[in-house]
Amino acid sequence: MRFELDAVYVEEEMRATALARRVIAALPPGVPVYHVPDGRIAARADRGAADPFAAGKRRMVIMRRRSRFLTGCPAASNEFACCGYLVMELASNCPMDCGYCFLQEFVADNPGFQVYANYADAFAELDRVQAAADRPLRIGTGELADSLAFDSLTGMSRDLVRYFAGRAGLTLELKTKTDEIENLLDLDSRGRTLVSWTLSPERVFRSSEHRTASPSARIAAARRVLEAGYRVGFHLDPIIACDGADRDYSALLDELFATVPAARIEFISLGGLRMTPGLRAAARRRFPRDPMLLGEEVLAPDGRYRAFAPLRMRLYEAINRRIAREKPGVRVYLCMESAATYRRVLGAAPPAPAALGARLADGNRRDG
Amino acid sequence: MSAPADDDAVREWAAARRLPAPYLARWLALGPDDRAALLEAATGLRMRAGQLIAAFDLLEEISVRDARPIAAILARDEVRRILNGTGSGPGRAAALLAALRALRFPRLARATERIAREIAALGLPRGIRIAPPRELASGEIRIELAAHGGEELSRLLDALSRHATELARIADLVAGVGWHDDEI
Ligand code: SF4
Repeated sequence: MRFELDAVYVEEEMRATALARRVIAALPPGVPVYHVPDGRIAARADRGAADPFAAGKRRMVIMRRRSRFLTGCPAASNEFACCGYLVMELASNCPMDCGYCFLQEFVADNPGFQVYANYADAFAELDRVQAAADRPLRIGTGELADSLAFDSLTGMSRDLVRYFAGRAGLTLELKTKTDEIENLLDLDSRGRTLVSWTLSPERVFRSSEHRTASPSARIAAARRVLEAGYRVGFHLDPIIACDGADRDYSALLDELFATVPAARIEFISLGGLRMTPGLRAAARRRFPRDPMLLGEEVLAPDGRYRAFAPLRMRLYEAINRRIAREKPGVRVYLCMESAATYRRVLGAAPPAPAALGARLADGNRRDG
Repeated sequence: MSAPADDDAVREWAAARRLPAPYLARWLALGPDDRAALLEAATGLRMRAGQLIAAFDLLEEISVRDARPIAAILARDEVRRILNGTGSGPGRAAALLAALRALRFPRLARATERIAREIAALGLPRGIRIAPPRELASGEIRIELAAHGGEELSRLLDALSRHATELARIADLVAGVGWHDDEI
């Protein structure tokens, strides 16, 4: 996949970095490059644009990250059963444009597509985390950005895969809705990189997931990285409970299992569509004609709009049943749901975050 | 096909009811049939601005989701009956909003109705309140007892335990268990 850029801004301090040089060398002709003293200013929302968030996506800002790279998952909270995920922020925002994407609210003030050219500094943080860890850790780069979008320009994934290949106990998760996998195929990840795809039924893709690879292309890409020696996982998230959703998800899983054997799948996470009132307003303003944003969501006790509880739980259960029918024991977990919902849908109390995190990191190699 | 709405009539209605400008702009941006149908509902039911806003939001959402014009939604039998009804304006406006909510959230409406029916069928004594969550927003059901003295409390607890099986079924429904396939 290739995405279009209006311009690239490079922070002066970062212009000699390998990443800046790689990006500039690979840019298609005609994309202007500007050098700026402070990338943070270039990343700010252009309030004069008709859609400042969309404009930000087309403006790549190569800059230095000024804070830590590693953080806890932004979704972690005492309210929810949690998977003990660590997030490595190497970029912010995404060239694709999903109607439901939480970045519409989360990075509304700084929507420039920021790529941190000093990303190798994250390795020192990872070394410290690895030295202190008493369990396997799963570390993802796909929370505030798609892990592989623009990888054809940045080539970041290659450095990451090589770094993690040498680190027992650390698993890198590259999470994507693209099929931009070419950089991965000739590397030996030594089983320490897991590539995961967020999958949605065709109807959701067509209605809401603008500029992403089609679900079939994502599944085909998963097959290719599996064959190249990577571990793979899938996120059915957000699950949108539109009319006929159970059939749609069943068909999606049929297609997935026909291409990627269930026994080779590390996990499938499930998460219902959830939107804060602010996100919902922003999403509807930007995509007023997207029927997927007009489901039967109500304000849930956690302050987010979610499909009303019986509907959501029935759908989770139907999906979980379909997965179990293919292969009992495929690891399924729920994202941003309460322990009570977890128990109700998956039939067991959620494991402690550390334990679940360790299992997801260590994967089928140990207990699958 | 209805005649195109008179923009002035829409503006007059909006000015008299102090409708916020963004809603007026959206109203005027509708196609002529939709504009007229909304005006007919607003005047016929003597809506307040807040009711018009709520109805308009619901109508637009249903219209996008079902790919149907607003005028066609307002022409549906269950809506038409309210618009052409004889009750008071405010009563009919409230009924219209309820009907539009049921169209906007059809599965929630069915689920809420079935749970309410099952609770009513228990015929529980006064002093017991079975409270499903508002808009079924969570899977948690609450049971409240209000008793004056031990004897009354024992009576209520007896009634609850006699209906334990049915109550468990209702709690299951709230948690998403026991629904027919096409029900929600
Ligand atoms: S691919 Fe992910 S990060 Fe990108 S717009 Fe879609 S939801 Fe947001």
